[in-house]
Amino acid sequence: MSIARHWRRRHNLYRLIGTRCRSCGRTFYPQAQRCIYCGSSDVEQARIDGEARLLSYSIVYSVTDEARYEAPVILGLVEVGGVKLITEITDASPGELEVGMRLEPVLRKVSIHGESGLIYYAVKFRPAMGGDGSGED
Amino acid sequence: MAWISGVGMVRINRHYQKGLRDLAVEAASQALRDAGVDGIDYVVVASSSSYRQVGQLDLASYTSSYLGLRGARSLAVEAGEASGLAGLLTAYSLVASGAAETVLLVGVDKLTEYNSGEAYDMIEGLYDVEGEGFYNIGHAGVAGLLMRLYMHEYGVDRLTMSYWPAVMHANAKQNPYAMLRFAVTPEKVASAMPLADPVTLLDSYPLGDGAAAVVVTRRPGQVRIVGVETATGLPSPAHRDDPLYLESVAEAVSRLGLSREDLEGIDVMEIHDSFTITAYMILETLGLSDKGRAAKDLAEGKYTVEGDGPVMNPSGGLKARGHPIGATGVYQLAEVTMYLRGDFPGVKTNGARRGMVISMNAMGSSAYTALLQAE
Ligand SMILES: [Zn+2]
Repeated sequence: MSIARHWRRRHNLYRLIGTRCRSCGRTFYPQAQRCIYCGSSDVEQARIDGEARLLSYSIVYSVTDEARYEAPVILGLVEVGGVKLITEITDASPGELEVGMRLEPVLRKVSIHGESGLIYYAVKFRPAMGGDGSGED
Repeated sequence: MAWISGVGMVRINRHYQKGLRDLAVEAASQALRDAGVDGIDYVVVASSSSYRQVGQLDLASYTSSYLGLRGARSLAVEAGEASGLAGLLTAYSLVASGAAETVLLVGVDKLTEYNSGEAYDMIEGLYDVEGEGFYNIGHAGVAGLLMRLYMHEYGVDRLTMSYWPAVMHANAKQNPYAMLRFAVTPEKVASAMPLADPVTLLDSYPLGDGAAAVVVTRRPGQVRIVGVETATGLPSPAHRDDPLYLESVAEAVSRLGLSREDLEGIDVMEIHDSFTITAYMILETLGLSDKGRAAKDLAEGKYTVEGDGPVMNPSGGLKARGHPIGATGVYQLAEVTMYLRGDFPGVKTNGARRGMVISMNAMGSSAYTALLQAE
């Protein structure tokens, strides 16, 4: 990935900004100029937040050279406030993970740019602290 | 109206001795010989990332020149893993519209020119690089997510999931063009090295180099192209209400005007089984298996030559024949053409009259389908 692409996207990677469509009412990640569902350009930025749950996960051993030192990576299919997205799970060992468990967002390193050594950060998710994981607060 | 009058395939492998162009010219020469034509109006080359692989741009014209087709009209087509079928759509449109009488379609990709880390980096780009592709998804991570989701949702265990690779390897063993010509048991699939747990090495396609070609013509012959269709899908499976349902595949097939009953009447199919889970998602999206049933149906013998339903992937599929990304769709077309002609040198599909190809990119960012018929 280029340094420029990461810089352009820093806001929606650091704070998980997606798109809400005023026409069809759907919200999705990432940011877009038009709705991917209905095509409307009547869209606005939307913070993706709210209760987060793990729908599925994968322990990824086969990664690119840029991410070799991060392997294995835990990838998650996560639902955040009703919006599904694919992200990384952190601060957890594979054995702790359970489909349906509660998660919370946290800013973490994703990879290191090959030539410059620049570190890329983005929002990841970790098991929710201080809860029993059942979603009952 | 358009027909496929010639096919050519190079065995998929790590071809250290041959360059990308050598592979393309070899497959194309076979197809031209098989078709017995000399006048080619257009050359369409399908490739996912030839520039990344060997540094070559304007691949189609260089390929045409070294095929000795001086002056031919030539163009390249790219649609990731679906490039081969996007090439067929182009060739078919040129012939059906009358712009060309005969088109040569060549699919080629070379994944083993560099180390596998470089290849994985390249094929990560099949996914949305502004979406999940920002994270370290690898080439199998999204398949891992969908496989666990499927197993959890439908209560299917790891061993039952493992029949697809076992059947594909058994088929590929008889296919001289296949990369992985050895048998594996479901137990071995389940316990193989994890790539993106629960996906193991034996759930995934191998990295290989390959080229295949078909000649598409207006002149009537043995195998007619009944139709070619395509549809765009949402960028990520996370955007779908049911991430396991391939809307783009369903839309492309319905655009061909085919019902589920029509699909059940098709004799043989080549489908895009990039991973075990992808195969089951396609079978269930087509309605050939009920939701959550595809793995069990296969374990009970459905989709094999002896069983019910269309025979799936006599070639061994992407899983075992191999998957040189942009070339794969052209392999599928060449294989289905041979099943319908009755001269495929592998698993026999005696008397097959109708054959279908299902191709797609990633987890359905686009889908293509082609229906062929023996005349
Ligand atoms: Zn909308």
